[in-house]
Amino acid sequence: MKRFVHGRLGVGLAALALVAAACGGGGSEESTTKTFSVALTEPAHLNPGDSNESYGIQVIQSLFDRLTELDPKTGEPKMQQAESITSNDQKVWTIKLKPGLTFHNGEKVTAQSYVDAWNAAAYGPNGWANNYFFGNIEGYDALNPEDPDEDGPKEAPKPESDEMSGLKVTDESTFEVTLTAPLSQFPLTLAYTGFVALPKVAFDDFKKFDQAPIGNGPFQMDGVWQHNREIKLKRFAGYKGNRPAKAAGLVYKIYPNNDTAYTDLQAGKVDVLLTIPAAKVPSAKRDLGERFLDTPAGTMDFLAFPLYDKRFDDVNLRYAISMAIDREAITKAVYNGAYKSSKSLVAPIVPGFRDDPCGQHCTYDPTGAKALYDKAGGIDGPLELWFSNSDPTYRQWMEAVANQLKQNLGISEIKFRSIPAADYLTTLSEHKATGPYRQNWVMDYPSAENYLGPLYGRDGGSNRGGYSNPQVDALISKGNGAKSIRESITYYQQAEDLVLKDMPVTPLWNWRQQSGHSDNVSGILIDPYIQLHVDKVVVK
Amino acid sequence: MWRYVARRLLQIVPVFIGTTFLIYALVFALPGDPIQALSGGKPVPDSVLQALRDRYHLDEPLLVQYALYLGGLLTGDFGETFTGQDVFTLMSEGWAVTAQLAITAWLFELVLGVSLGVLAGLNRGRALDTLVLAGTTLVIAVPVFVVGYTAQLLVGLKLGVLPTAGIDEGWPVSYVLPGLVLGAFGLAYVARLTRTSLAENLRADYVRTAVAKGLPRRRVVLRHTLRNSLIPVVTYLGIDFGNLLAGAVVTEGIFNLPGIGQQVFSAIQSKEGPMVVGVTTFLVLAFLLVNLIVDLLYGVLDPRIRYAGSGARA
Amino acid sequence: MTGLRGGQPETGIAPGAEHAATAEAGGTLRAGGLWTDAWHDLVRRPLFWASVVVLVVMSVMSVVPGLFTSQGPNEGCNLRWSKVGPSAGHVFGFDVQGCDYWTQVVHGARPSMVIGLAVTIVALIVAVILGSLSGYYGGWLDSVIARVTDIFFGLPFVLGATVVLVAFPDHGIGAMCLVLVVLGWTTMTRVMRGQVIAVKDAEYVTAARALGAGGGRVMFRHILPNAIAPVFVVAMLNVGNIIAGEATLDYLGVGLQYPTVSWGLQLNVAQDFFLDYPHLLIFPAVFLSLTVLSFILLGDAVRDALDPRLQ
Repeated sequence: MKRFVHGRLGVGLAALALVAAACGGGGSEESTTKTFSVALTEPAHLNPGDSNESYGIQVIQSLFDRLTELDPKTGEPKMQQAESITSNDQKVWTIKLKPGLTFHNGEKVTAQSYVDAWNAAAYGPNGWANNYFFGNIEGYDALNPEDPDEDGPKEAPKPESDEMSGLKVTDESTFEVTLTAPLSQFPLTLAYTGFVALPKVAFDDFKKFDQAPIGNGPFQMDGVWQHNREIKLKRFAGYKGNRPAKAAGLVYKIYPNNDTAYTDLQAGKVDVLLTIPAAKVPSAKRDLGERFLDTPAGTMDFLAFPLYDKRFDDVNLRYAISMAIDREAITKAVYNGAYKSSKSLVAPIVPGFRDDPCGQHCTYDPTGAKALYDKAGGIDGPLELWFSNSDPTYRQWMEAVANQLKQNLGISEIKFRSIPAADYLTTLSEHKATGPYRQNWVMDYPSAENYLGPLYGRDGGSNRGGYSNPQVDALISKGNGAKSIRESITYYQQAEDLVLKDMPVTPLWNWRQQSGHSDNVSGILIDPYIQLHVDKVVVK
Repeated sequence: MWRYVARRLLQIVPVFIGTTFLIYALVFALPGDPIQALSGGKPVPDSVLQALRDRYHLDEPLLVQYALYLGGLLTGDFGETFTGQDVFTLMSEGWAVTAQLAITAWLFELVLGVSLGVLAGLNRGRALDTLVLAGTTLVIAVPVFVVGYTAQLLVGLKLGVLPTAGIDEGWPVSYVLPGLVLGAFGLAYVARLTRTSLAENLRADYVRTAVAKGLPRRRVVLRHTLRNSLIPVVTYLGIDFGNLLAGAVVTEGIFNLPGIGQQVFSAIQSKEGPMVVGVTTFLVLAFLLVNLIVDLLYGVLDPRIRYAGSGARA
Repeated sequence: MTGLRGGQPETGIAPGAEHAATAEAGGTLRAGGLWTDAWHDLVRRPLFWASVVVLVVMSVMSVVPGLFTSQGPNEGCNLRWSKVGPSAGHVFGFDVQGCDYWTQVVHGARPSMVIGLAVTIVALIVAVILGSLSGYYGGWLDSVIARVTDIFFGLPFVLGATVVLVAFPDHGIGAMCLVLVVLGWTTMTRVMRGQVIAVKDAEYVTAARALGAGGGRVMFRHILPNAIAPVFVVAMLNVGNIIAGEATLDYLGVGLQYPTVSWGLQLNVAQDFFLDYPHLLIFPAVFLSLTVLSFILLGDAVRDALDPRLQ
């Protein structure tokens, strides 16, 4: 009912942020019989192909090994179940598995286990959440015929095939993937939990599998998923992978909200809480001391302008609104300093991040803002602010913004339009928002491209405000085609400067993750995707 | 009597259909595309969208959807949530928690409420009476969420006596604090009702007669007055059980109890029709049945009442 | 027993009022005498006066907040003062937005009072009309009204209201009132129906009819005045119910919205911060509770005054 970290927590790539008490090395504890508990919000699914939110992914990462993972220091892909992933042309990839890997039920992990899992996820009629991740594999279209008349009465025809032509098993431990276009980052994307292998038993009854998945990771299910209560895991004795569990087991305790979970953490009833509610951060810092963890995250909040609305045509008006907002004060008051005010379009953990590419137009300056506002001729009619109702803090910071716009610019009538979460993105996509709106971005992978392309590119999948600048598009493609990361960064930075000058959105703040743990455990490592690395946890 | 029961049961049918339809229509009217919302902002391919809409009959008009739903109900199928969970299973888990919570609250009302009421009623006008009156009035006036947070803070965290969240320790320990908070209003109300009713009966002619005839006052109170005084209290307690079930939303939220209140509140936000309608249906059914039972009980307690036809008590 | 009670166990006393009031006042007392006697009784009750004083203050606060504070709602806020506790000059401290909390709490009176009274009055009118029709004419009309009443009666308050309010996200005070009326008219309707049935066969009504009085005249001159007293008491007790119910919806985040300022909204924000900043919780909670309490005490006093047997 409260505090949903909204959903698109995707690919588990990225530089892992090592947290204070991290490195719980040493194998001596492995014989421990002790277990620990982690607070969780009820996941939607545990079937890897059908789970795309961080809670489900947290559990799936404990149950399944992936083909690759990312090195905490360099961000380079490291092999997990794959022995090698190679390609000559970046289009046809050969994936070879390590020998001797098994599922929790003893079945061997083979190339076929992967191919079958991927085909199932890509098969449209299954309706799985990670379907679109397979869109760049050849033959995907045959499994996902298009609806001939969009929302019209005609329905999409039944797919002609249930196997992608781009997947070929060459021997028991090797398979070949043909992509529709070259993609040098393919090994990185495989670190996402949507790409794991499934055992044969899964295909008998996916619904049953969803309740107690049989994986191949360091932990296995101990009983079935107790909805809204707990998910119990125990160490997988036959584990042969590269991240053996140190604890004998763990329990994901499911809470309806993080406030109650925090109360339990204080009372010592749960060992790890990944997200301490912002309101509790000051007292948590005080009460938990060393056990309080602060992790940078890739998530950004923006205030976006509806560029399709003529009233927001004048860039001076957009500057004025941006300069009338005291970001620093809002993060302190509403988020208790848990988030960091931002003047950039990308998050600090991303290579190529600069502290202040925006300059004066993102700097709080009431007088300057008022002058620009008057120069732009003010705004007609009431100003409406749009946001979704999925978290109460959205309303709180919007209230602060509204008060500042009233006071600093003299806008007399400001109204709220708080939209049910289920309807929010649709409202934005259909250009129904009639005023500035909350825009949130959760990164998929740590690259400036992931922040710029989807949001400000003319055809960007999440460009909902109608922004378009050919120069920006050109710079982004130049960056994408660049030979080295360093070279691409210069182009991305130029694009960022241009976007900020046009100001289709104004940056507000960058999320940080405040977590806590009990005295019982050590070796707590949390990455920017709010994922706890359960194998490293040591129970005292 | 049986004709009366049959008639009442028959009356439940249109009410049941009316309520479920009303809720179903309201959920239908909720804005937004639940499938799109499930994706958390990622693109959803047409084929996936189509598959899910077909699965949940989302493209059908309201009446067809409702008919399909009712049809399912008749065969014992309560539908499934958008995450593929069986609504009936989910609900029964939630109901178990909510029922335990409601029973705890109800026991508080019964035991504490009646005792306080009797104490106050027998000591009418004295300090104890005033204390009970003032205390109960206060409890009635303070909103439940304020009572809840205060109780959690004082009893749970500061004193550390009782669990403040979750149901780890099972019944009754985990349910004591939430039960007390949920039952606080009813408890106060029962105390006041008992007090008033007792005071009223103590002045009744039959008591005066009994005392005048030389029966010991104590016996009069226990044998005659109390029984008569408890008639309205029992009525209230019966009906309030339904209210406690429905009123658990706020209390469950504060104390993190995975009951139906929590389930249905989030189901509304994510437009989970079958879940909302399923829970509400059960609530309404429980409410109607409890009402019937209370009316029957009323007749047992008060022999003057006969179930003729359209009596004064509906 | 009231629909509202269903969802929020925190306030209201209507169920008992129904019993007590239905039982007693429905008799053949002459209306004028009843009310005069009640008034004479009321003026002797200190609790009656105490609650009247509180309610008068709250009413003035909601009509002319300017008497209590020089600032408008959400005015003169400065985030630098966010959550700062009470001090001289700012007796209630500041809220999360850095607005003077006294000012905000004063402005919070209006929605509560307006909604409490408006909803009760409209629900009372609905109840009197439907209850009278149902009780006076009986038959199929009675059955239909009874079943419709059952449907809304059994609908749990918080759930019903949440569904409606989530469905129409840009609701204001008007829409809130509508929702509360829709979910809150049933108890009074039942009481009214019971009263009309009890009164319509009374001797003086039969007498009036025998003397040739028409249906309308009998209804307005003889039945209504005698049947309405208990309903009136239930309504009065109901105001507190409604106010608390509205605050609950605000608290759950499905009720009123900025720029409206209300106690429920203040409590909603306070729930996140009350451990460190208790003043955020205390002040709106005290104002809200005091108002609800006063309506209950007032209703109690009026009921007792109208009920000769309990004096």
